[in-house]
Amino acid sequence: MTAALIGFAIVLILVLVRLPIVFAMGLVGTLGFAYERGGSIFDERGLKAAMSMVGRQITDTAQDYGLSVVPLFILMGLFVNKGGMARELYAVSNAFLGHMRGGIAMATVAACGGFSAICGSSLATAATMSKVAMPQMRRYGYSDELSTASIAAGGTLGILIPPSVILVIYGLLTETSIGKLFMAGIIPGILGILFYLFAVRWTVWRNPEAGPAGERATWSERIRALGSVWAVLLLFFLVIGGLYGAFDFEPLNLTFSPTEAAGMGAAGAFLIALFRGGLTVGSTFEVLKETCFTASALFAVLIGAQIFSNFINLAGLPEALIAMVTAYDVAPFVVILMILGIYIILGCVFESLSMLLLTVPIFFPLVTSLGYDPIWFGIVVVVVTEISLITPPVGLNVFILKGVVGDVSTGTIFRGVTPFWVADIFRLALIVLVPIVVLYLPEQMGALGH
Amino acid sequence: MTPIIQLVRRASALPVIVACIALFILMAMTFCDVILRSVFNAPIEAATELTRILMAILVFSVLPIVSTTNGHIAVDLTDGFFHRLHLSRARDVVIYVVSGIMLFWPVQRVWVLAERARDYGDVTEYLSIPTYLIGWFITLSVAITALVMIATGLLKAFAPNTLSEPM
Amino acid sequence: ADYTLTISSWAPPTHGINAKMWPKFVEMVEEATDGQVTAELKLGIAPPPAQMDLIMDGAADASIIFHGYQPGRFVTTKLIELPGYEGSAEDASVAYWRAYDQHLKAADEHRGVKVIALHTHGPAQLHSSAPVTTLDEVSGLKVRIPGGVGGDVGAALGATGIQVPAPKVYETLASKAADGVVMPLESRKGFKLTEVAQNVYEMPGGLYRGSFAFIMNEDTFADLPPELQTALEENVFGEPLSREIGKIWDEIDATGREATEAAEGNAINAATDADMEKFSAIAEDIRGKVIAEVDATGVDAQAAYDMIKSEMSSN
Ligand code: NA
Ligand code: NA
Repeated sequence: MTAALIGFAIVLILVLVRLPIVFAMGLVGTLGFAYERGGSIFDERGLKAAMSMVGRQITDTAQDYGLSVVPLFILMGLFVNKGGMARELYAVSNAFLGHMRGGIAMATVAACGGFSAICGSSLATAATMSKVAMPQMRRYGYSDELSTASIAAGGTLGILIPPSVILVIYGLLTETSIGKLFMAGIIPGILGILFYLFAVRWTVWRNPEAGPAGERATWSERIRALGSVWAVLLLFFLVIGGLYGAFDFEPLNLTFSPTEAAGMGAAGAFLIALFRGGLTVGSTFEVLKETCFTASALFAVLIGAQIFSNFINLAGLPEALIAMVTAYDVAPFVVILMILGIYIILGCVFESLSMLLLTVPIFFPLVTSLGYDPIWFGIVVVVVTEISLITPPVGLNVFILKGVVGDVSTGTIFRGVTPFWVADIFRLALIVLVPIVVLYLPEQMGALGH
Repeated sequence: MTPIIQLVRRASALPVIVACIALFILMAMTFCDVILRSVFNAPIEAATELTRILMAILVFSVLPIVSTTNGHIAVDLTDGFFHRLHLSRARDVVIYVVSGIMLFWPVQRVWVLAERARDYGDVTEYLSIPTYLIGWFITLSVAITALVMIATGLLKAFAPNTLSEPM
Repeated sequence: ADYTLTISSWAPPTHGINAKMWPKFVEMVEEATDGQVTAELKLGIAPPPAQMDLIMDGAADASIIFHGYQPGRFVTTKLIELPGYEGSAEDASVAYWRAYDQHLKAADEHRGVKVIALHTHGPAQLHSSAPVTTLDEVSGLKVRIPGGVGGDVGAALGATGIQVPAPKVYETLASKAADGVVMPLESRKGFKLTEVAQNVYEMPGGLYRGSFAFIMNEDTFADLPPELQTALEENVFGEPLSREIGKIWDEIDATGREATEAAEGNAINAATDADMEKFSAIAEDIRGKVIAEVDATGVDAQAAYDMIKSEMSSN
């Protein structure tokens, strides 16, 4: 156990001097594994054992069939972008909400939620929506705090509402069903939208100047806007419906595995973008290229995480934690609260993926040994991860906004984000106290095939 | 020095194209597999093993480029601190060189494992594709990654101007 | 204990492999060495096909491999997978070890690791969501079936192969990506098939039997004092361990059958005499092909086959 804790500390230090996570976790994991097998980090047999494990991880992780959803969902998100669907989503939510006080920010949150349903990454959701929604909010005199915050917070939904790259990685690390994790994310995701809408209302109630009302759209305008989002709805229905079993009837009898859903989604988004003239050979190539680069970096980091988690496993840290909790007779709920506290603190400095990779191998065995549902814990982890994206001082979604918008300070954005952050804490409490919110849909799905 | 770097940059277009083609095939194949399975009751039997191979190709083709263009996921919390102390460049040099050297051992091992698979005659299930070919490809990719990372680190240290244009 | 071996394993934690077989192994090892040697189980260090490399290089001391996961590497192991043998998994495992000791060992397919047990699961049957009552109905089904002999049988019956690892079988069946799966009866409980594949089509002797080995790192063994080595070789490794593990396969098969009989809407349909005859012709074809294949590795395949057959029927 001591070895694991020392290893963990060294990884933190290496990561903080900006060594890429794959190298930090890979190095410590390899030497730690050698130590566990050979009794010293210089033991020849221990090192050979560790290198063999590392070599197999390198070749096997990149060839893990279940992980093929990662590049395919990234690809889908990028094609969706080219198809102009983000703009349409925004237009339709604006037509319905824009006339209220703070309505354009509310429309932004709703559009972020919709975009999350076809994009697997929070950063991509925030980046895309900031290009679409920011100019509008500026035009109507919305405060920088509210406009940037609604996008930064709304964007976090990208990893909770399926598809989600983070849920896929959680599923891989813990061997839980990715299809069920996706289903489990839907209700908490919708709750997220609702809670953020309240956060917007609260902001404009405190300061009406922050979000003046926009123009009221006529019903014919609204219906026209609705007519243009068919592509988004189609894709969402294809992917989520397919996963859930909505096409499971004669003669189709079709239910998608996550990989198939991702492949169908990507191909569907490609065809829609192509059909709408949004794609050239050059831009298709750019999309493919960006996907490959992102996927390559993600796979690299996963390899590092697997190596590190093998060391943690061999060093017996999870067993030691479980033994400790049993010895001191800590109530399971107190353990959960402590874990959540640790996540919120880590969330200050870590971005989503690093936090997940570092903590899941340690906490997962403990949490499941206490009798908690692995699917439920996955959603809890993703929600705290979402919170980390907007928690200062390091909040990646905030930085994305700063990068795209430019002339706003991160301090301003973090200030605007505060009510959204509080809304997140309320949502987290709800999910922790009322697990059925998470587990209802996956349990329905478990009935498939009966 | 500069002509060599330009040559390397031009040559790096090839693996990118290979990766893009692999990804496009992966997408198209998954789509066709679902359609063939549901409409014609005839799934592509080898789809799983082809998926695996295509993923290895797309991930490892671009790994050297990702590794030398600051593409790895890292925590930039202390960037401002290093910048203020004028240590950013020194830190980058160390990180590139150390990371590159670190890869020397995995490269050897992946190679040993590939040769072992060749000796035992391992093949894929449906198409009987020898698995050592994938192992060789991964070895090559990681070896190139190691070399270009070390080279990038050294260039950053001794000839930072040669790296100033975007890759 | 003076020596603690690290076991690497890959099935779900509750599966018989981890819940019963490894604990049995530890029990036997401790008993044979008066508690001087013991072992602890680590799950999920690497996927199944990586296990042999891990053991060879000492990343763990012992592991379980399923030969079908490494096509090309193992040929002689196909002999035990052939359909047509009759008898329990225990009988088959003992016969398997004896045939290995006398014939199959010569092919040296496990070079680099020490083989400490060989065993097979019980007869594999077809599990499907729609009832299958005749052999002809298998044709055109999408069936998850491992490679090797299982794959040959599936092809001969006209089924389309679906490739997924065992832990993904539940999802694959629930999502209807596959119509059925060929596995032993234990998986009705171990992989919850009673929920997603309510029907079993049972062929006496099974459609095939999967081949497994327990393997150990050679250096780890060499490092043990000679008297412990002897104790393990005489009382645990080889036939004794193979027999005990085979027994557990039979045990968990029985649990699977009970679970099926208790589950609502589940049915076990026995093959008719006509179908059994038809299948034995198919089995004979496959046998001929596999024996030729195994012959090519330089072992006397026919003699090994005859030995397994007679060992099993003499029980
Ligand atoms: Na999403
Ligand atoms: Na943060």
